[in-house]
Amino acid sequence: MSFNPLEHRGIPLDRQVRNWRELDVEPVDPDRSDPYTKCRIITMNGIEVEAVFFSHHFNRICPDPEVKKQLAEVRFIEQQQQKAVNWLLPGQASVLETTISYEQVAVDLTAWVSRMEPDPYLQQAYEFGVLEDFDHLYRYANLYEMIEHRKAEKIVGDLTEIMPGRPTLVEHRHPADNLRDPYDKNKTEPLSKLHALTIMSAEQQTMNFYMNVGPQYMEPIARQLYQEIGLIEEEHVTHYESLVDPGETWWERLVNHEYNECYLYHSFMETETDPKVKAIWELHLNMELEHLRLACDLMRRHDGRDPESILAPELPPPVTFEPNKELLRNLLATQIDLTTLGAGYVRDAHERFERMQEQIHGGEKPPSEQVIDQHRERFGQEYRHQPEGPHPVESFRELRIRDEES
Amino acid sequence: MPTAPAKTDVVDLLIQQHSQIRELFDEVAESRDEARHDAFGRLVRLLAVHETAEEEIVHPAARTSLPGGSGIVDDRLNEEHEAKEQLAALEDMGPDDPRFDAELDVLRVAVLTHARAEERYEFFRIRDQFTEKQLTALGAAVKAAEATAPTHPHPGTESATKNLLAGPLVAMVDRIRDIIRKAH
Repeated sequence: MSFNPLEHRGIPLDRQVRNWRELDVEPVDPDRSDPYTKCRIITMNGIEVEAVFFSHHFNRICPDPEVKKQLAEVRFIEQQQQKAVNWLLPGQASVLETTISYEQVAVDLTAWVSRMEPDPYLQQAYEFGVLEDFDHLYRYANLYEMIEHRKAEKIVGDLTEIMPGRPTLVEHRHPADNLRDPYDKNKTEPLSKLHALTIMSAEQQTMNFYMNVGPQYMEPIARQLYQEIGLIEEEHVTHYESLVDPGETWWERLVNHEYNECYLYHSFMETETDPKVKAIWELHLNMELEHLRLACDLMRRHDGRDPESILAPELPPPVTFEPNKELLRNLLATQIDLTTLGAGYVRDAHERFERMQEQIHGGEKPPSEQVIDQHRERFGQEYRHQPEGPHPVESFRELRIRDEES
Repeated sequence: MPTAPAKTDVVDLLIQQHSQIRELFDEVAESRDEARHDAFGRLVRLLAVHETAEEEIVHPAARTSLPGGSGIVDDRLNEEHEAKEQLAALEDMGPDDPRFDAELDVLRVAVLTHARAEERYEFFRIRDQFTEKQLTALGAAVKAAEATAPTHPHPGTESATKNLLAGPLVAMVDRIRDIIRKAH
């Protein structure tokens, strides 16, 4: 069913403030909820966090008191939306359990976007990135069994497989090689703008989460692994944010942000399995429609352009959390050994890459390798969950399986 | 099947049991008829043994050694007391009762919340304050206590175990406590 957010009226802004009782949302069940419901919560939290910080940055460069006032009013509501969304996560979940859900988001959201992305260069950027998050899931899953004696498949279900991706070890690239070429705002499909904003926001939230929760651990290997993967998340934020055309005006960017929030709340409303959570997506969609209308008015007034000229005539098909096992296996088989050089992709370990690797590893195994070694030492083998069969790349199959065969 | 390390510190051991308890709740919820009675029986026994070992060995150590330990342990004991009442009510009801599923869910979340509170406010601080040797000694004490009240009967001890782990929860807990106290 087609839905054009520009044609719907939302809740008037002065009726959007919620009281403490309304903010006190009931969290989802720590063990029984749909893994993808948690993924949708984590995604929308990242989107709201980006909305809030984008608005703060806009405020810092905006001299117009009237605009600042409107930004402040909408921003306050966005902060409340962030609270309502993120507080759906249950307090019983450990930091590591939430981390594993974050990586499930990174895998299945990026995989979906790569499947839907019309522009081949942008699609390559998502295919490249998803194999790295896929590897992080496997590293954290091994840490989880070591610390909490529980298997990560209990958290991700059979929806997402857990095995090595592009090894985290080789994800540490020279920072200049993390920059991509941007899309052209005048030529690209509107959907491509939404994709870039969505994945950038998700990765940014992951980066912020790891940089803050990492030091809460006492186990040395946990502290170190959060540092290492946290640094990769920074690379990913650089990678995805540089896909966005820097020539977009602030007004245009504001409209894109609000439109994207409408798109995602609408998507999740359409696909949510938990009725209570679905009600929140619906409420927030109705709030966002008004935020979008206000942003469009600002763009018309200050940019002298119609928002319709940069937006799609209706929302694209809903962003859907669903298994992407086949896609991931194909990417593992074909792109596991890629790295970047400038804004392109290569297979050889070039000089700048090698230098960075030497500097950051200092001749030692990084935490992402140590966590697997330690798991093997304690449990006799590493942790994987691969219901669809052995790893598609032979050299990435389990040591132990190879030993038994030989 | 991966094997757990032989020499475990007490915190690691108890977290491992929290994970087993969580799995058993899943098993009870997913099974039916006789399999469900059996899984529920194992859950009750594991909870009885685990909680009693904590009350007799871990909480006293936390109470005397942690700053604010007394208050922390009181909070945990209150949670345990409430969970035990819920568990006793479930036992009376039995797995065939139509209210069982809903009540089991209430207990599951209560037990998980209690376990997380122990991990965050008690166990991690114990690990911080105690030496490795002390942690291993406490772990050994918990293991020894539990060996006297095995949740899975060992060959040759079935009748004794059956006796120990039979009857209502309250009586079971009392017997386990006696054994732990005699062993120390």
